[in-house]
Amino acid sequence: MKLTKLIAGIAFIAGAAAPLAAHHSAAMFDDGKVVELNGTIKEVQWTNPHIWIQVVVDNNGQKTEWSVEGGSPNTLSRNGWKATTFKSGDPVVVRVNPMKDGTPGGQFIGAKWKETGKTIGHWE
Amino acid sequence: MRAALLTVAGCLVAIGIAAGQAAKPAAAALPDWSGVWQMVGPTVFDRATVQPQNGRAGDPGVREFPPLTDEYEALYKKNIEKIKAGTFPDPISVCGVPHGFPRIMNVPDVYEFAVTPAATWVLAENGPGVLRVYTDGRSFPAAEELWGTYTGASVGHWEGDTLVFETRGLKESRDNDVIIDRTGLVLSDAATVTTRLRKTSDTMMEAQMVVEDVKALKAPWKVTKQYRKLPAGTWAWDYGCAENNRNPISNSGKTLTLGPNGKPIDKKTD
Repeated sequence: MKLTKLIAGIAFIAGAAAPLAAHHSAAMFDDGKVVELNGTIKEVQWTNPHIWIQVVVDNNGQKTEWSVEGGSPNTLSRNGWKATTFKSGDPVVVRVNPMKDGTPGGQFIGAKWKETGKTIGHWE
Repeated sequence: MRAALLTVAGCLVAIGIAAGQAAKPAAAALPDWSGVWQMVGPTVFDRATVQPQNGRAGDPGVREFPPLTDEYEALYKKNIEKIKAGTFPDPISVCGVPHGFPRIMNVPDVYEFAVTPAATWVLAENGPGVLRVYTDGRSFPAAEELWGTYTGASVGHWEGDTLVFETRGLKESRDNDVIIDRTGLVLSDAATVTTRLRKTSDTMMEAQMVVEDVKALKAPWKVTKQYRKLPAGTWAWDYGCAENNRNPISNSGKTLTLGPNGKPIDKKTD
């Protein structure tokens, strides 16, 4: 995976990533692009059919909230996740396939906690 | 005396058949399909013919090659164009709509197979997803008593450790309200499917399906799906799709994304 562009906390990385099983078409996501969100967890919705991770990215004082879609809690729980895996306030780097229209949303690929270096999902 | 007893036994079997009981095996004779299982591979229904190879269902340009009639090949191509335009929503996105058959054999998350003498239930966690296969000796309802449903009606019998069942009465896809997979494949209401479901090892199961459809297919279409047993103690969970569905469908068929406030975050909603 190659870092090609860095914009104040958001990095655009070339390359595809494994998609998550979804209950809907993934047409809105650009699976050829990876965006790296350097931010803070605001909220996690541990719900079906998908979990949602709200990540706030602070770009020189201008805060943007990203909606990051994950798999179902059912499947994630069978793969070591818990409802409390992410906690509000956690400083993280989250990688997503972004929405094609530039909206601050994306499909979860992997994440790294900045304080501990621990990772989850696809992270290499 | 022995001949007389055999005659009586034969009569009892005949009475049993007439009462719809003879095809029902003893519980002890049934295979052990306990545990939690997961389909092997992605959700392209016919992985043997998909192009490009390893193409994912729902990605633009990905298609399979069943022996479609001209009419249904044209319909498939039309759906493929809709996928390219981002206007081929998955009907299950609205939540509460069953996958239908045969798609129920081709979904993510996990499965359980509940085997009893009178019926076997295929329970797909991703749902609502229940396939009922009756093995109590019943026949299909008369044609005039059968109407098209998502999962149809399934009647089966056991051939050793293999559950063989036929499925009829499937709902015709209208405006793609029931699909086989996200490449855009659909069948007609004439579709019937014969399935052979069996365990191939302690940790693998297999569903061999032969799809016939005089409207949609020029020849029988054979597809095999496999399922791997997950470790003992694995849980299957409730799947409440409507709990927090942040991906509704717009009037034009676009799959939207809602923010945490319930409003679309898409730049264009239609």
